[in-house]
This record gives sequence, structure tokens and C-alpha cells, in this order.
Amino acid sequence: MTHINIKKVLCLFVAIMLTVTMAVTAFADDPYTSYNYNAWKEAVPSQNGYQVTDTITGADIGLDQLSDPDSEFFISEDEPATLSDAKDFFLCESTEEWYIVDTGNNRIIKTDLEFNLLACYKTFTGSSMTTETTLEDGTVEVTEANTLKSPYGIYVDEDGIMYIADRDNQRVIKCNQDCEIIMEYTRPESELYDSVSFYCTKVLVDAAKNVYIICPAVNSGAIMYSASGSFLGYFGANKVEVTATVVINRMWRRIATESQSATLTKATPVEYANFDIDEQGFIYTVTEAANTTTDAVKKLNPAGENIISRTENGAEIVFGDQTSVTYSGTTYSTRLTDIAIGDNGIVNILDYTSGRIFQYDREFNLLFIFGCDQEDQNGGFDNPNAIETYGDKVYILDGRNNDITVFSETLFGSYVHEANEMYNEGLYEDSLALWKEILKRDGNYNMAYVAIGRALLNQDEYQEAMKYLKAGFDDEDYDKAFEYYRKDLIRNNFTAAIIVIAVLIVLYLVVKMLQKRGKIPDHLWKRLFRLIGNGIKTLANKIVGAVTKKKGGAANGL
Amino acid sequence: MVYDMTPIQWLKHVIFHPTEGYEDMRWKKQGSMVITVVIVFFLLIAQIVNQRMGGFAFNMAAYSDVFNIVPIITQSVIIYITWVVANWSFCTLLDGEGNMRRIAIYTAYALVPYIVCTIVSTLMTYFLTLDESIWSSAIFYVGIGWTAVLLVTGMKACHQYSYTKTFVCIVLTLVGMLLILCLFVLLLSLFQQVYVFFYTIYTELLYRVRS
Repeated sequence: MTHINIKKVLCLFVAIMLTVTMAVTAFADDPYTSYNYNAWKEAVPSQNGYQVTDTITGADIGLDQLSDPDSEFFISEDEPATLSDAKDFFLCESTEEWYIVDTGNNRIIKTDLEFNLLACYKTFTGSSMTTETTLEDGTVEVTEANTLKSPYGIYVDEDGIMYIADRDNQRVIKCNQDCEIIMEYTRPESELYDSVSFYCTKVLVDAAKNVYIICPAVNSGAIMYSASGSFLGYFGANKVEVTATVVINRMWRRIATESQSATLTKATPVEYANFDIDEQGFIYTVTEAANTTTDAVKKLNPAGENIISRTENGAEIVFGDQTSVTYSGTTYSTRLTDIAIGDNGIVNILDYTSGRIFQYDREFNLLFIFGCDQEDQNGGFDNPNAIETYGDKVYILDGRNNDITVFSETLFGSYVHEANEMYNEGLYEDSLALWKEILKRDGNYNMAYVAIGRALLNQDEYQEAMKYLKAGFDDEDYDKAFEYYRKDLIRNNFTAAIIVIAVLIVLYLVVKMLQKRGKIPDHLWKRLFRLIGNGIKTLANKIVGAVTKKKGGAANGL
Repeated sequence: MVYDMTPIQWLKHVIFHPTEGYEDMRWKKQGSMVITVVIVFFLLIAQIVNQRMGGFAFNMAAYSDVFNIVPIITQSVIIYITWVVANWSFCTLLDGEGNMRRIAIYTAYALVPYIVCTIVSTLMTYFLTLDESIWSSAIFYVGIGWTAVLLVTGMKACHQYSYTKTFVCIVLTLVGMLLILCLFVLLLSLFQQVYVFFYTIYTELLYRVRS
């Protein structure tokens, strides 16, 4: 007996050891557990759609060449070899070149797609602006503003023309690859522009070479310049979020005098933090203010209208995390800091607070959530400042860690992207096999159920479709499937139902006729009814008797 | 008319004769407390059915995993009790003839159409599509209307009021219900505070004893 037991225990022990070690190897690649939101907006575990594959620091780019006299990139002996609080980067897709805005070191670094140094831009010629510097002997020297002063943003068009938001010089410079300034966009001399300063942070250029500039002090939208450099106005302002204070102030304003209403706080919209433009010329904006629900993410057409509500579920969606987390007295809520549009209109949104990237498809269905705020580990961020995407990779620029993290699509991620693209094109049947594969890997992936359900609905398999649509909590499509299912059910059983009804009618008529002729005596029915009635009565009496007995027992006990 | 009826027959009589049923029942001093308790229990059942059942497209929330019975009890049993108490409080002051028992019975009898129609309309949604939802909602609203009519005539017969006075009384009762519930919530939070106070003392003592 004991012999067998020892064997059993040993077997069990080995089995446990094996499972533990195997589990460790299976999950060793994932630095954190991934999650997604289900139909009830609850976080559920999910598979990783992206994984960290690389981290690029200044040393990896080869920034030490800038201070190496033997190198072709030599600038000066004390040129720093690391990034410093980099605020933005930009991928020029036509040339496959990176432009990294090294804000703390006042320079622009150009690399190729694998982050090998191509150039470093520090001084620019042809500026019409001047800066005053006080020399050591007290004299003031006026020089051409040929350097950058904490640049915050960059955009490069397909001809290699750079647009740099030179924040502390209060200008946006347009220059070519030889650092010759073509045009400078400064504070507009217009009555429409009521801010004193022009601290621009982000810049964007559309196909018609109109320039859009974000200044955090201006909340009427992006400042828009024409290609010739004239101020056109504002583009796509946010709406004021309707809160109780706003409503009360509005009511007060009705009855208050002019001087009284001047003291009331004005309801102003929140300016947006960043934007990106997609291939079709739609501009996407994100608003960074915490807890914002109005206009957190917008998709603007060229007229500046928000068309997000015309997508499948963009109107009522809450972007980022669904609930804010309170931990040790601090509330962490979503702050969307940057947006990047990838292939097929996939939207990547970067949350500054949690360091997470939320990826949506072009109909704003949530695909993946990845990244975290544990800065010491791979895929964790401290100050995530900017996001870019190219092909199957997503790049995050961190301003505190001074590095760029590269996320690559996993196999699961590529399945989802492929299936999702077919789904959005309406090719439900073609994507069926892929979605089933996705469900095998992640049973929590809600979209898969809906997609399979729709495919089965198209294939006229209504009962099966109902099962999947129910699992995916898609009530409208379920209703459609149910309608067809019911129609089929009635159609298939119509003859049987009619026959049953006809037989019943005939029976009724026959009985009636027989009754009239006196073939069935009246008391036969009465007796039958009495029999049934008596049965019910005795049953009821039994139940009542049992209840009263219990009651009586309880009373006696008391 | 012969008024030699069983309690169930009285219930049927009241429901299908809204104007005279309650008067008859009052003069014959009929109405069963047992049936009242059963009806209130079925009110709870009807609310549960309404929230936890129904066709998938009609009531998707019923298919979630989360189910809390406390709000449902509040919506049915607590509201009923509050109504009875508030109505009694006001009508006693306003020369109403009804006592608490009679108010409870008459109110419960009036609720039967609502209960039946709620359950029937919910069960109907299993066989309907969203386009045909008008049928189930029609039945639901018929139930509410019927119950409202019964409630008015019931209160009128119960207290021997005129119609105007009945309406005033019902409005006052609704206000009274609000007051009662408000006080109830206040009381609850007060007891919560008291509990926390004593619990703090308890833990404080525990720390001192240990150290």
C-alpha cells in the first residue's frame, strides 16, 4: 500500500514541477498580463497583441559620434550622447526616416528605420528673427535666431521639408534638409488671435500644405496657416464639457448684470494635446485633460467637423481605461497624450498616466491594450511623450527614460488585424476561420463572437448565429437572427400546425353535434370536471393541512 | 346580485368591476389578508421576472452575471409597505374611514392587473422581435393603467371620499412616501455612524489590551 502511495506522490510531484516550469517558460516573454474590456466594460484577461522587441537609447542610435572629432557627424566636443526629455518624434513614411525632437538638447536627430544616425540638425540659417544675448562684459549682442530653443514637435512632408515647432522661440520653422529656413510662422497679427504668446508645441501639414499648429494657451482649436504663410483661422475647436457648474453659471448669467457676469468663470473648452493625419486627410485629435468625456478623441474632416459619431460605435465610446483607479489616495485617470494612425486606419492612443497604448480599429472597436507604467521593466514607461506606428510595429518615445521602445505584433495580433480588416470590409464569411482561431487562443475576445455570429447569419445558420451573437452580447444582430429563425420555424411547421388546428376544430364540431343529438349526456362533462376539481381540492387541503400542522407545532413549542 | 362568494371570487369581482367592486367589498366587509400577502409576494416575483427574464434582444442586462435582489425588494415590497403606511397616516388625519388592514388589502387587490400584465409582457418578448415590441409594451401599459384605475377607486371606497379628495390624498401619499424613505435613509446612515463609533472604541480597547 505504502509503496503505491509513494509512487503516486512522486508522480504527482513530478507532474506539478513540470507544469510549473512549463508555465514559467510559456509566459516568460510577457512582461505583464494583458487585458481587454468585455461587453459590460469590465476588464478581462486577454492575449498580448504586441510585445516589446527592442529598446533604443542614445547609445544605440550612435549619438556618441556627435562628439567624436573623427566622425562625419561631429558637431562639438561636449555634445551629449543621450536623448534628453525628447517630446516628439516623427516617421517620414516616404523615405522611411525617423526625426527625433531632442527637446532638452535643442536638436533634431535624423535616423533610418533601424535607428542608425543619419544627421543631426542644430543650427539653421536664414531666420528673420533675432535673439538678444547678454555677453560677459554686459553688452547685449543681437544675433540671428539660428538655433532651436526647446523644440516640441516636428512634421516632415514627403519632399523632406521639415516643420519644427520651436516652442521657446515662439515660432514654427519650415526648412529643408540643408537647414535653410524657408518660412517662419510666428504669432498671427490678427484680431482673431487673442493670446499674447505663441508657445507652439505640435505641428501638422495636410496634403494642400496647410500648416496646423497647436498652442496650449489657445483653446479655439489648432492655428491654421495657408501654404503661403498667411493666418487662416482656427481648426476644429473642442466643445465645452457640460457639467453642473457650467449649467448653473449659464442660468446665473441670464439674471446677472454685466459687471456681475464678468466675475463668473467663463466656460472654455480644453485645448487638444496632439494630433495626427491619416492617408485620407482626416485629422485625429486627442485631449489630455484628465476625466474628459467630451471630445477626448476626435476625427475631423477637412471642414473641422467631428465625424467620429458616424463610425459604428465611436459616438458613445469611452476612450482609454473605463474606470479610474484610486491607489494610496491618488486617483489615476486616463490622460490621452498622443495618437498615431496606422495601416487600415488603426488608431493607437497613448495614455500618459498608465503608460498604456489603446489600439482601436477604424470603427473604434477596441483591439488591444498594451504597455504599462512600471518604468523599470521592458514595455513600461515613465513619461511616454509620443507614439508612432509603422507596419506591424508601434514605437513609444519616453522622455524620462530617454529611449524609444519598439513593440512588435504577435501572432495573435496579426490574426486579429487580418480578421478585423476583413470584418470591417464586410467579408464576414472569409474571416470566419481566422476568428475561430482567435477564439481558440482567447475565449474572452468579444469581437470574435460577434464576427462569427454575423458570418453565420450571412450563411443562413440562424440558430448557430444566435448562440454566438448571444455570447458576444450583440442584441441587434441577435434580433435579426432570431427573426429569421422564427420565420423558418413557422414555415417548416406550418402544415403540421394547420393540420392540428383543423383536427381540433373538427373534433369540437363533432362533439357539439353529438351533444345536440343527446349522444353524450351532460353529466358526463360535469362528472369529469368534478373529478378534476376534487383532485385539486384534496391536494390543496393536504398542503394547507401540512402548513397548519407545522404552525401548530411551532405554537406548541412556544 | 348574490354576494355569497369565496375570497378568490371576491378578488375577481373587484378586478373586473372597478367602480362598484370595492364598494361591494367594503359593505360586505370582505377581503383576505392571506391573499394580500400572496399578491405582494407575486409583486416581488413580477419585478424579478421583469428584470431577470425576457428575450435577449429586449433585456440584455438579464443575461449578465450580476444580480442584486435588494433593489428589486425595494422596488416592490418596500414601496408597497411605504404606500400603505403613508396613506394611512394622511387619511386618518383627513377623515378617512379605512384602517391599516383595509388599506393594505385594497391596495394589493389593485396590483393584480399590473403583476399579471408585467409577467405576460415579459414572457411575450421571448417570441417577439424588436420590431414587434409594441405588443408587449402595450400589454405592460394596459396593466399599469388598469392598476391605476383600481387604486383610485379602491382608495375612494376604502376611505369613503369624493374623487377630488381621493386624488388629493393620493398626491399627499406620494409626498409622504418620499418623506418616509428620506427619513429611513437618514436613519440608516445615522446607525452606520453609531456603529462605526462603537467599532472604533472596540478596536481602540483591543489595541490597549494587547499592548
